[in-house]
Amino acid sequence: MDVLPGLLQGAAVALTPINLLWCFLGVVLGTAVGVMPGLGPPATIAMLLPLTFQMNPTSAIIMLAGIYYGAKYGGSTTSILLNVPGESASVVTCLDGFAMAKRGRAGAALGIAAIASFIAGTFGVLGLMLTAPPLARAALAFSSPEYFALMVLGLAMVVLLAGTSLVKALLAMLVGLWIASVGTDLFTATSRFTFGHSELLDGIDFVVVAIGVFALGEVLANMESGHAAAMLPVPTGLRNLLPSRAELKACRFAFVNGSVVGFLIGVLPGAGSTIASFLSYGVEKAVSRHPERFGTGVPEGVAAPEGANNSETGGALVPMLTLAIPGSATTAILLAALILWGFKPGPLMIQEHPTMFWGLVVSMYVGNVMLLVLNLPLIPLFAQILRLPAYILYPVIFGVSIVGVYSVSGSQFDVAMLVGFGLLGYLMRKLDYPAAPLILGLVLGDSMERALRQSLMMSQGDLGILISRPIAAVILALAVIVLGIPSLRRANAWRMKAIG
Amino acid sequence: MGRGRPKRGDVVSGAVVAGLGLYIIMEARRWEYLGADGPGPGFFPLWYGIAMLALALLLVATSVGGGSPASPAEGRRREIGRALVAWVALAVCAGLATLLGFLLAFGLFTLFVVAVMYRRPLLPAVAVAVGCAVAFYLLFPVALNVALPKGVLGF
Amino acid sequence: MLRALVVLLAVGLGLPASAAGQGFKPSKPIEFVVHTGPGGGNDVLARFIATAMGKEKLLPVRMQITNKPGGGGLTALAYLVEKQGQPHTIGTFTGVWITTTLMRAEAKVTVKDLTPVVRLALEPAVIVVKHDAPYKTLKEFIDAAKGNPGQLKQSGGSIGSRDWVIRQLLTRHTGAQWAFISFPGGGERIAALLGGHVQMMVIEPQEAGEHIRGGGMRVLAQIADRRLPGFPGVPTLKEAGFDIPIVPVVRGIVAPPGAPREVVAYWEDVFVRLAQTATWKKYLEDNQFEDGFQRSAEFGAFVDRFSEMMRGLLREAGVNVVR
Repeated sequence: MDVLPGLLQGAAVALTPINLLWCFLGVVLGTAVGVMPGLGPPATIAMLLPLTFQMNPTSAIIMLAGIYYGAKYGGSTTSILLNVPGESASVVTCLDGFAMAKRGRAGAALGIAAIASFIAGTFGVLGLMLTAPPLARAALAFSSPEYFALMVLGLAMVVLLAGTSLVKALLAMLVGLWIASVGTDLFTATSRFTFGHSELLDGIDFVVVAIGVFALGEVLANMESGHAAAMLPVPTGLRNLLPSRAELKACRFAFVNGSVVGFLIGVLPGAGSTIASFLSYGVEKAVSRHPERFGTGVPEGVAAPEGANNSETGGALVPMLTLAIPGSATTAILLAALILWGFKPGPLMIQEHPTMFWGLVVSMYVGNVMLLVLNLPLIPLFAQILRLPAYILYPVIFGVSIVGVYSVSGSQFDVAMLVGFGLLGYLMRKLDYPAAPLILGLVLGDSMERALRQSLMMSQGDLGILISRPIAAVILALAVIVLGIPSLRRANAWRMKAIG
Repeated sequence: MGRGRPKRGDVVSGAVVAGLGLYIIMEARRWEYLGADGPGPGFFPLWYGIAMLALALLLVATSVGGGSPASPAEGRRREIGRALVAWVALAVCAGLATLLGFLLAFGLFTLFVVAVMYRRPLLPAVAVAVGCAVAFYLLFPVALNVALPKGVLGF
Repeated sequence: MLRALVVLLAVGLGLPASAAGQGFKPSKPIEFVVHTGPGGGNDVLARFIATAMGKEKLLPVRMQITNKPGGGGLTALAYLVEKQGQPHTIGTFTGVWITTTLMRAEAKVTVKDLTPVVRLALEPAVIVVKHDAPYKTLKEFIDAAKGNPGQLKQSGGSIGSRDWVIRQLLTRHTGAQWAFISFPGGGERIAALLGGHVQMMVIEPQEAGEHIRGGGMRVLAQIADRRLPGFPGVPTLKEAGFDIPIVPVVRGIVAPPGAPREVVAYWEDVFVRLAQTATWKKYLEDNQFEDGFQRSAEFGAFVDRFSEMMRGLLREAGVNVVR
């Protein structure tokens, strides 16, 4: 792929006024969709598909892609301001983002999220542009044993998310694994833990659990006191609305971390943006000089996961455009859209339709810039939400949560489960069980079990396959290192104390 | 540091989770552990069930013994009560939504929260409840074309 | 409350008018139920049908897609059954529904409860291997499998899916044994094949088409009664020497239970006309579907035969069949 001529070709297409307009529309719509918990890009794109038949396909994909990565920008807003994850990957942003808001740094958190998203999103597009075909082929070397190792690495991150009690964190993770098993076993079609309800055959939707445990749990905890005052300190003055120099400086590594981790995970069809956010957060915490402050509102705890879930979009487009392999629900429907418009996605698509590919690439650069420009000035506006008194804000959060969950599946059963998980979230808060490991277990449990069983089927029962393949072995070694970090740190601290 | 009192919350929650672990183990035993092609559906649940049971019992044991030193202030009865009342109201709202439709149920719920839980005077409370319901109506079905849960009566 | 009463009255008054033999004509948007989420196989088909209906002006009203994913079709199935008596609701149907209801105790309703309208298309499939695999014909693959029982691997969907059924039929017929590894998404199955982690897979022709053209895959045989236009040089299973039943993926249209005769006749007529349009024929060609058009009665009989066959196959494979 010749980059320069490609870029020129793409610019000729993407920078036309009409396509700029479509790009703008896409990113604005995407941001709005991302802010809404539950409602996500797949449903929105599906709704817009009939309209796109009247359009030029390149313009259409520019707009739809705008929705895709725009939603990632929007997802951080409610995570930071209300502890409501707008998108499944935004769950990790809730951890430090909301903590920053509680300290009055909501504006700064939103700003860091926007900047990290911009840097990482641009990196993702660069990666897509420069490495797509060879990277896609390299990613084919990843199969079940490697995915298993990756999931183990993800779960090993629990020790980094543990907080005060490792036992409770592990228990939360195990409960997450259990919730993940609810549903139909892929290999034998056995129903597990469905209690006879056909609604549970597909398992419990992640969104239901995340919103219930995080958002509802938080609001219920806040309703303990009868104070009608605003929930969080409202930041005033420009200084409080934007990140400070020191905060930006602290995020330097996080920007890189988020970009790289997110992109690479995105390229793997079997791993998604939630895993990318968790891994990036874990890496950041692992290399930090002050890991114990994570969770209390450190800017890099926002920058890393937000960056990761943005560059993941660029990464996910790699297998989709080069091999017609979708890695997520959104890329699946984008693929369906391409087919409906008459393209034939596959290994030859980029060569045969360079205008579309390069037009899309250039529009993604432009889209990221648009999003940064849009989001930064909106921060003071969003921060005003915090002014609302508790008795208005809390019912609204409850209402938005219910509507968000209902919009995903249209199921009252899911709403009932949401309410149940809300209670669980509250109880966990009171009893000091950390919520992040539960989410981690939920996200990884299914994939990990599948990868393990697929691997053993491939090797006919030989456990060796899990460690004998080079990539898998390296990742597992990393997991062991991660598990060892707390002990290493403790030993180091003890040593320091002994010396000093 | 120093030893705390036996933490009742930890003991009870530990016991509950241990019970869950036991249930998982029993269910997992019903399914195939190792099939012809590889581990069966019972494999994974059995192991995390065992881990859950073991860790939960460990938690109970250490809590009874003295508990972990750091823990949040145990909420007082009244505050926990308020939160639980709010939760029950939410559950009722969700249940009513199947009958009355979301907008009506949500309006009632908001009224309850504002007037009863936060003790605002009745008229502003009604205004807030109606205002929120209308806002939701305008935002979701009208502007965004997102369906709201409909009740039997068709709202 | 008042509004509900008014609606009840209107419906009550409206019923006799249509039962008077006028024939049914839709008067409000049609609800078109799909059992996958946006982007899934049936969703794409339904959206195409909706667009084609509009283009060819076959309906006086528009069609709206309602996604009811979940449970391998059970959610959509239950929803359609709930809509009993509603002539403005129809749904897309795939053979998966039959398999799911056979295996799942959670299913409270079955396909037999619904009213079959028309069968539209049959999706054939092809058997592919990676382009550098040592097998040039299906026979070579089967022989290799016989020589190394359990060593070769096929990637596919879950138990009861068409690729699993093909594997059951082939292994039973030839005595060869190979592993079947389930992956939840088509993308992962393809990735497993292209990455060399599995040796063979069954795949829809249009998905394979681009990979074959790009040189990544090689087709060994096609699962169809006649050679597909897109694969003139590839033998069918029968031609390759393996005379097993061709298991198609069936796509059709169904209506809620007990739909009155004139409603069924109306829909049959609409779809007959759709099937005759050039737009539809092109769609079949582009997607390499076989035209399996059948009217309601024939379709109903087909559903029964298919259920019997699946029941037998599942039982044989040791899968728990609940009805």
